[in-house]
Amino acid sequence: MYKATIGLEVHCELKTNTKNFSSAPNEFTKFPNTHVAPVDLGLPGILPIANKEAIRKALLTSLALNCITPDEVLFDRKNYYYPDLPKGYQITQNTKPVGIKGYLDILVNDEVKRVTIHDIHLEEDTASLEHRNGYSLIDYNRSGVPLIEVVTDPCIHSAEEAVTFLEDLRDLFLFLEVSEARSNYGEMRCDVNISLSDTKELGTKVEMKNINAFSSVEQAIKYEIERQTKLLEEGKEVVQETRRIATDGKTYSMRKKVDALDYKYFVEPNIPPIKIEDDYIKELKDSLPELKLSRFDRYQSLGIDKEDAKTLSKEKEISDYFDEVLSYIKDTKLAVNFMTTGILSTLNKLDISIKELFITPEMLGTILKEIESKKMSLDKGKKLLYEAIDKKKDPKELIKKTESQISDDKELLKIITSIMDENSEQVRQYIEEDNTHVVNFFIGKVMQTTKRSANPNRSMVLIKEELERRKNEK
Amino acid sequence: MIKKEDLKRYANLLMFDMDEDEYDTLEKEFKTILKQMDHIAEIKDIEKVEPMTFPFLNDDATLREDEVGAYLTVGEVLDNAKEEVDDQVKVPKVVDEDV
Amino acid sequence: MYKAKSIKELRKLLDDKKVTKEELFEESTSLAKKYQEDYNSFVTILDKFKSKDSDSILDGIPYSLKDSFSTSNILTTASSNILKDYIPVYDATVYKKLKKAGATLIGKTTLDELAMGGTGTTAATGIVRNPYDKERLIGGSSAGAASSVALGITPFAIGSDTGDSVRKPASHGGIVGFKPTYGRISRYGLFAFASSLDHVGILTRNVEDAAIVTDVLKGKDENDMTTLKTDRTEYASHLEDSIKGKKLFYIKEICNLEEYPKQSTELKETLSDFKILLDKCRELGFIVEEVSIDKKLLEAIYPTYMTISCAEATSNNSNLTGIQFGPRPKADNVDDLMFKARTKGFSELIKRRFILGSYILQKENQEKLFLNAGRVRRIIVDKINKLFEEYDAMILPASGGPAPKIEGTTEEVTDDEVVLENHLAIANFGGMPSITIPFTIVNGLPVGVNITCKAKEDCKTLNIAHEIEKVTGLKDIYKEVD
Repeated sequence: MYKATIGLEVHCELKTNTKNFSSAPNEFTKFPNTHVAPVDLGLPGILPIANKEAIRKALLTSLALNCITPDEVLFDRKNYYYPDLPKGYQITQNTKPVGIKGYLDILVNDEVKRVTIHDIHLEEDTASLEHRNGYSLIDYNRSGVPLIEVVTDPCIHSAEEAVTFLEDLRDLFLFLEVSEARSNYGEMRCDVNISLSDTKELGTKVEMKNINAFSSVEQAIKYEIERQTKLLEEGKEVVQETRRIATDGKTYSMRKKVDALDYKYFVEPNIPPIKIEDDYIKELKDSLPELKLSRFDRYQSLGIDKEDAKTLSKEKEISDYFDEVLSYIKDTKLAVNFMTTGILSTLNKLDISIKELFITPEMLGTILKEIESKKMSLDKGKKLLYEAIDKKKDPKELIKKTESQISDDKELLKIITSIMDENSEQVRQYIEEDNTHVVNFFIGKVMQTTKRSANPNRSMVLIKEELERRKNEK
Repeated sequence: MIKKEDLKRYANLLMFDMDEDEYDTLEKEFKTILKQMDHIAEIKDIEKVEPMTFPFLNDDATLREDEVGAYLTVGEVLDNAKEEVDDQVKVPKVVDEDV
Repeated sequence: MYKAKSIKELRKLLDDKKVTKEELFEESTSLAKKYQEDYNSFVTILDKFKSKDSDSILDGIPYSLKDSFSTSNILTTASSNILKDYIPVYDATVYKKLKKAGATLIGKTTLDELAMGGTGTTAATGIVRNPYDKERLIGGSSAGAASSVALGITPFAIGSDTGDSVRKPASHGGIVGFKPTYGRISRYGLFAFASSLDHVGILTRNVEDAAIVTDVLKGKDENDMTTLKTDRTEYASHLEDSIKGKKLFYIKEICNLEEYPKQSTELKETLSDFKILLDKCRELGFIVEEVSIDKKLLEAIYPTYMTISCAEATSNNSNLTGIQFGPRPKADNVDDLMFKARTKGFSELIKRRFILGSYILQKENQEKLFLNAGRVRRIIVDKINKLFEEYDAMILPASGGPAPKIEGTTEEVTDDEVVLENHLAIANFGGMPSITIPFTIVNGLPVGVNITCKAKEDCKTLNIAHEIEKVTGLKDIYKEVD
C-alpha cells in the first residue's frame, strides 16, 4: 500500500487599498493597465515603498496560524526572467518571513488533524498575461498586489485532508478579514506537491502549479494517487516533473525537472529593516478574532448538536451574529432554532448575506425574550420574525402594536354594536340584500373610531358574528 | 575552476550572449576576483561577522500608509512599449506558460 | 560672459537684473554645444528654455543632470543602447526639487554605460575627455557631469556615486564632488547600479555651491524608504564655523610612498604635495594624525566593492528586457525577444559584470562571495567608525595622481589595483558624507583631496572642506579651452 504525502503552497491576495510597494490602487478592474504606478511597471529608477497595512495583515495571519513572528520586517529579492515580472525580480521574504513553524488544526472525519506550516511570507503578485493566437498581452494591474504565501510541511495524506485544509484556510482569511479569497478571481490559488511511497522515505515529487478551484485540487490529487500507484505497482518509476490539471480532471506532463532554478535570493537593499515591537505583536494578538474550530468547540460545549455547531461556526459574520443573539437570552436551543430555521433559511431564500438582513441580533433577541418569558408562543414568535423581515419593521414596534390593540372581545363588541346601531342602513343591506361588502365598511368605521388600535382580524370576526346574529334575529 | 561553458550557461540564464573572445577576458577576470575573494575568506573569524546590507541602521525609515496616491495613466503605461493591443503591451508568444 | 561664475555670483546678477534666466540658459547651452564634439559631455542638450519662478537661491541657475536620472518627456539613456530611445514618464525626486526651485536644466550628461565604470570611456555615445588634456580621461561614471563643470558650462551638475563616481572625476577635473550621507538625498528616479551603495552626488567649483545645492536637495522623501529625516540645519550657513581643534586622520598604508612598488613621478608628487597640505591644515588649527590599518583589509576594499556592486547590478538591471521599454528586435517568441534585446543592448563590459554578479549570487557561492563581501564591508565600516569616535574626519588623496591617459586604460578586473585608487568606496560602504576638492596641480593637471566624516555629519564635512579650500588656492578653477 502506497502512502501519499502532500505539501501545499497557497497564495492569497491581500485586501488592501494599495499595492504592496506602490500607492496604486489594489482593486479589481476590467480595464487593463489603469492601476499601475512606475514601481509596478519596473521602470528604471523606481524604489519600493512597503505597505503598512499589508504587513499588518500578513502578521495577523501569521499569528492566527500560530507562527513565530520575526523581530523585524525584511524583504528579499527572488531573481528570474519572465514576461509577467517587470522588474526581473519579485520582492518576497526569504531571510525573515512574517511567520515560521506554525500550524492549523482542521477537522477531518470528525477528528482533529494538525497541519503544520513551514512558513508564511509576504510578497507581490505578477502582471497578468493573456495568450492569444501567436502573441501574448500584458496587463500590469495585478503587478505588485500584496500576496501572502502559506507553505505547509509535507504532512497531508489525502485529497480530503488537502481540500479541508484549503477550505479552512480560506475561512481563516475571511475570519481575519485579510482577503476575500475568491478563487474564481484567482485571489486564492495553490501549488500541490505530491509523492507516493511504501517506506518511510518520501517518493519522487510531482508538482502541480496554480490551481484555482478546490475541486480541481481534489481531482488532481486523486488522479495523481491513482496514476502514481499504478506506475509503482507496475515497477515503473515516477518522474520528477511539473504537471498541469486539464478540464477532464486528468493531469498532464508539462515540464520534466531539469536543473532546479536558482533564484539568487538576496536581501532587498531598498527597504531598510523595520523593527516589529513586542507591543505591536501583542496588540495584533489581542485583536485576533476567535477562529472557526474554537467556535465550533464552544458551541458544542453549550449543548448544540454537531451539525448545527458546524453550520453556525462556518462563517464569521453568522457566528458573530449568533453570539450576539446568545447574549440576550439563556435558552441556547431556542436561539439555534431561530438561527437555523428562521435566519439562515431566510438568507438562503432571499439570497442575501447576513449583513444585508434587516433583522439585527438585537431585534431577534427581543422576539426570543418574549418567547423565553412565555409572553409569546414559539409559533407566534416565528410569525413575528417573518413579519418583521417582510415589512422591514422592528419587531419591538410590531409587538407594541399587538399589545396596544384592543383585542378584548367585550370591549370591541361594545364599539361594534354601537357603530352598527348608528348605521342601520348598512346592517339592513347585509341582512336583506346579502351585501357582504358592508363588512369592510364596518371595519373601516371600527378603525376610525378606535384610531386604528383595534385588532383588525379580531374585529373582522366579531363584525361578521354580530351581523349574522342580527340577521338571525330578524 | 570555472569553465568557459559554465560562463556561457550563466550568460544565457541572464538572457544574453557574448562574443567568444569576451569569454576569455571574463575567464581572466574571474580568476582575479576569485583569488582576491580567497584572501578575504582567510580573514580571521570572518565567519562570525554579520554580513552588512545597509550602510547603517536607519531609524528614520517608516512604512507607507495604505492610501491611494499618484499613479500612471494607461497612455503613460504604454508610452514606451513598442507594440500594444487593447490597451495592453503586446509581446511575441510566451513559450512556456508556466514558471 | 557669465561662464564659470558661482551660484552666488549668478544669483546677484539675476537679482540685479544684469542678466535674465533665459540668457543664462542660452549661454550654457551654446557652450555645451561648442565643447560637445571635443569633450562629449552631453547625451542631450536641451533646445528650449523652460523654468518655473521661485524664490529659491537656485532660481534661474543653469545645471545639468546625469543621464541616469528619470526626467519625464526628456530622453534618458543611461548611456546604454538598451535605453537609447527611452523617454521616462515620471520625474526623479532631485529633478522635481530642482524644477520647483526654478533651476534651469540645460542637458543630460554622459556616463559610463549604466554608471558601471570609473573611466568615462564606456558610454554608448563615446569617450568623455578631460578638459585639461584631451588625451586623458576625466573619470567616471559621472564623466560628463564633471567635464561640463570643469569646462565652466554650468555652476553645478548632479551625478551619482556608487564607489567614487562623483568624487574621482571631480579629482581629475579640478572641481568639487560631494556625496552626502546615504539617505540624505532621495535616490528615487536615479537608475540603480548598486542600491546599497548608490548615492546622489553634486559637482561644483567650490564648496559653498555644493552646500547650497545640498540644502535644496536634501530631505525625507516618501518615495525612498532609505531617506533620512529632514535635517533642518542649513549647511551653507555653517561653512564658517570654527574648526579649531578638529581632528583629522590619514591612513599610513595609503599615504606613504614606501607602500607602493611602482612609484611614478606623478604618485611621488601627489603624495608629497599631500603632506604639504596636511601641514597647511595644521596651520589652520586642525590636529592631523596618522593612523595605521591592516593593509590586507585595505586591499579587500576593491574585491568587496566589485562583489557587492556587480551582484546588486545584475538584479537591478533585470528590468531591461525590451518588453516595457527600450529597443525591440524582431523575435519569434518572448524569450527570444529578451535575449536579443539584451545581447544587442549591453556592451560586453556590462555583460561581464552581470555574469560575475550572478555567479556571486548563486546559491553555492553566496556564502563565500556575496556574504563574505558583506562581512568585510562591515569590518571596514566598523573600523573607520571606531576612528570617528576619536577623529572628526578622514583625509586622503582622492587618487594617486592626475587623470590617466585614455590610451591603455581598460575596465578589466586586474590584479594591479592599488588602494590609493579604491579607498573612496569606504564612504559608500558606510554611507558616509564624503567630499573631494582640488588641492594641487601635478604635471599641469589637477588632483583632489578627499574628506570623509561619520554618517549624517554632512554639515561638518562641508565645514571642514570649506576651511581647507581656503589654503589650496584652487577654488573656482575651470579650464578655458577653445
